Amino acid sequence: MNVTQRLKLFFRKPHNVILVVLFVLLTVLTFLPMLSIIMDTFTVHTSEVMRIRGTHAGDFTLYHWRKVLADGENSMSIFYKPLLNTFAISFATCAIGISVGGGFAWLITRTNIKFKALLSALFVIPYIMPAWTLALAWLNFFRNSLVGGVPGLFTVLTGITTPNWFAYGFFPISVVQGLHYAPFAYILIGGILKNMDANLEEAAQLLHATRLQIIQKITLPMVKPAILSTFLLAFSSSMSAFAVPAFLGMPVRYQVLTTQMYRTLQGLNPGYGYLMALMLILIGVSIMLINQKVLDNRKAYTTITGKSSNVSLFNLRGLKNPLSYFLVVGLLCITIVPLITFAIESFIVEPGNYALSNFSTVFWTGEGAVDIANGEPGILRNRSVFNGLYNSVVLSLVCAFFAGSLGILGGYAIARKKGTWLSETVNHLTFFPYLLPSMAMGAIYLSVFAVPHGPIPALYGTFAVLVLIGTVKYLPFATKSGINAMLQLGGQIEEAALIMGVGWWKRMTRIIIPIQKTSFLSGYLLPYISCMRELSLFILLISPSTAVLTTMLFQYNEKGWNQYANAINLLIVVVVLLSNYIINKLTGASIDKGIG
Amino acid sequence: MPEIILKNVTKMYGKSAAVNQLNLNIPDHSFITLLGPSGCGKTTTLRMIAGLETPTSGEISIGGQVVFSSEQGIDVPPEKRNVGFLFQNYALWPHMTVLENITFGLENLKWPKDKIKERADVLMKMLKITEYGTRYPAELSGGQQQRVAIARTLATGPKTLFMDEPLSNLDAKLRMEMRTELKRLHMETDSTFVYVTHDQLEAMTLSTRICLIKEGLLQQYAPPLTVYNEPANTFVADFIGSPNINLLHVKVQSVNDKTATLQLHDKTIQFTATGELPIAAGQEVVLGIRPENVVLDQSGELLAQIYSTLPSGMETVVRLKLNGFNLTEVVFGSVDFKVNEEVHLKIKSDKNLLFAGDAEGKCLAQGSIY
Repeated sequence: MNVTQRLKLFFRKPHNVILVVLFVLLTVLTFLPMLSIIMDTFTVHTSEVMRIRGTHAGDFTLYHWRKVLADGENSMSIFYKPLLNTFAISFATCAIGISVGGGFAWLITRTNIKFKALLSALFVIPYIMPAWTLALAWLNFFRNSLVGGVPGLFTVLTGITTPNWFAYGFFPISVVQGLHYAPFAYILIGGILKNMDANLEEAAQLLHATRLQIIQKITLPMVKPAILSTFLLAFSSSMSAFAVPAFLGMPVRYQVLTTQMYRTLQGLNPGYGYLMALMLILIGVSIMLINQKVLDNRKAYTTITGKSSNVSLFNLRGLKNPLSYFLVVGLLCITIVPLITFAIESFIVEPGNYALSNFSTVFWTGEGAVDIANGEPGILRNRSVFNGLYNSVVLSLVCAFFAGSLGILGGYAIARKKGTWLSETVNHLTFFPYLLPSMAMGAIYLSVFAVPHGPIPALYGTFAVLVLIGTVKYLPFATKSGINAMLQLGGQIEEAALIMGVGWWKRMTRIIIPIQKTSFLSGYLLPYISCMRELSLFILLISPSTAVLTTMLFQYNEKGWNQYANAINLLIVVVVLLSNYIINKLTGASIDKGIG
Repeated sequence: MPEIILKNVTKMYGKSAAVNQLNLNIPDHSFITLLGPSGCGKTTTLRMIAGLETPTSGEISIGGQVVFSSEQGIDVPPEKRNVGFLFQNYALWPHMTVLENITFGLENLKWPKDKIKERADVLMKMLKITEYGTRYPAELSGGQQQRVAIARTLATGPKTLFMDEPLSNLDAKLRMEMRTELKRLHMETDSTFVYVTHDQLEAMTLSTRICLIKEGLLQQYAPPLTVYNEPANTFVADFIGSPNINLLHVKVQSVNDKTATLQLHDKTIQFTATGELPIAAGQEVVLGIRPENVVLDQSGELLAQIYSTLPSGMETVVRLKLNGFNLTEVVFGSVDFKVNEEVHLKIKSDKNLLFAGDAEGKCLAQGSIY
């Protein structure tokens, strides 16, 4: 057989075609842009010509590297301090997320606490809502007048002025992000606790171990992988988080790498920003490498699941009732109450004055007056808000369609060719965008698509670039559920049809997709919801006409138009929760069942 | 000494009883099997004795000490009952090495280090796993994991050992080997074994007594051969023995003292009881004939057709058609037959059984057939 014949045979199989196409596409869309951003850290950008004397735009320079990494005090405030803050926040976030989520998982799966179903449903809401929801709620409640502006509800109600460390910066950022990732820890750790073979604990009990010893020596080591993966996810996500530190850190100039990156990329030093993006990517990749090193394959944790499902539940005794009620109230406070504050804040005219006479619908339905927010009309009459909502929904739908469909095809092809070089490479490539911090990825696309490349025009500012970045960024979720679905199904089901001479298209649409409908649908749902609430991925790439709801929220907040920000936030949360609810009811898929 | 006594033990799940009014007396040093189809409550019974499950009512005592009593409100936790438990899936801790698994219980009992090592060495030698001490369970084969689980259970020297289908995850060959070893182990450790299984062969070959349970109700509690030869009802008769006993639904035509004439469609046969024969003419009964009692004999009066044969070398299982009834027989030796061949039959032995024709199918008599 000669080469042409072999190639012909190779490409006659649909999964080979898919793999090759994905390989080329992903290399172009994720791998090559990495080179571009590295170049950018060595390049003089147009806005920097004044600063770096005697150079022209496009010249090679070490200026950025020197200034950011080795310029004493200057580097300290530009890079090292934000870097330290980033690490401090990420660690605190993980600590809070894992202890709260893990503790909650233990309460739900191992004790006789009341209202388990309700508690569980409430607990995952902060994870479905965008992360900054709690941050804005925190501001609504605890902001003070020490840094200018009006005090929040808490101060108004109690007369106590919150200190700065409590209202802004490290503390609230860690708490808010910790609470956001706690449900993830709960889902992962709770899943293991629930499915863990109860015999493992019973065996220890029969061998005279006390309850504490069992938790220490059996249960904790068993959930260690879940704790570790929560840690890695929460760490890398909070490292690349932008919205929360932006909202809660800005008033006291508490900078982290992402906010610093945004400042420099939007300002006069894009070179600094690209360098920071590169650093974020390096940290993200090294976390994943550590992950692979740490997880020890010798102690395979997948054991045959036991048949005894009725674990003896820990009796909370006298604590049972108080704790149950406390949790319900506490969870309502961090899920429902924030939404109420958004509603309230969006109705009051003069901020900080909660008298009934101060309530007005002007920010919702007003026509826009010169004395309020530069004549911006209320959001229900506001063309730009509708435009943003429209953009958000369309962008989410389009990204979900592309990511979800590519995920199904990719998952199918990867699973079918499992073990081959091409399949493994494509698998890693689809996973790669997961490692790229959102804002860094935004920076990459900004750097690549600011200028035309051959046949591809300069896409910066267009809707297409948002679709492109959204699709690539969420591809890992979709591919993962696609691969899982295919591996679960096994090859024989398809082979049974193949032998009867059923064509590929029909096999996919009549057999494979209908059987694994739910898994595939969650491959569409995850990108949709994630896209709906995404801010840091798009913030660097939008133009006024392509603004989405989240970026509008950020801009309103930056301008200090509190009421608009709250109203839009409410709009986003409602759209997200509603979408999740409807899709969950229709298909059984839900975002809290997936990864990320 | 650890004699285990169950009195009226009941376990309810919602409205259905998993175990219903169970009375059981497990003597010291015995090897008892709890046998029954899956979902019959045998595992629940075992877990209740071990303390892993709480009975709804009743009383359990181990070695004279009441460990559970619903009336007196006693419930001794499992770790205080001093029992060993071997789980079906072994439940080895995947994050500990073989050695760590084995010594875990001893460490909890605060044994001195040198004693622990000594004990572990003895056990690993006995179970032939010495060279695997530093491995993790995932790196062992099923049979090796099984041995580690046994060593772990035996480490603390429990006087009673509970086993929940410990061989069901092994392949046939290994299962055979482990059966032999378990029986040796029972002798060497001099302790009481309670063993749960759904495999009647395992129960027959291993135990000193079989406790047969169906839908939470005790059916029969007797030594294996008694259960085989004198089953309490059709369920027991059918469950024990391979190939299965022949159960023929027949009608009593007439009864004359200890002999009854039974109708097999248009033919009749005589059943002569060795003891009482509490049946009357016209009654529906079930005739139970063990396959080894059906013999091919030229002088036999019964004429049957060969339906199919399953020769295995040592014996051949032959399926026959007798007047519209299906009949299984075992012919010993390396023989085979032609399908559809006509053969003459005789039914030997005076251990053929007559059961009541109702759902309960109580055993009524034992005797010979002509």
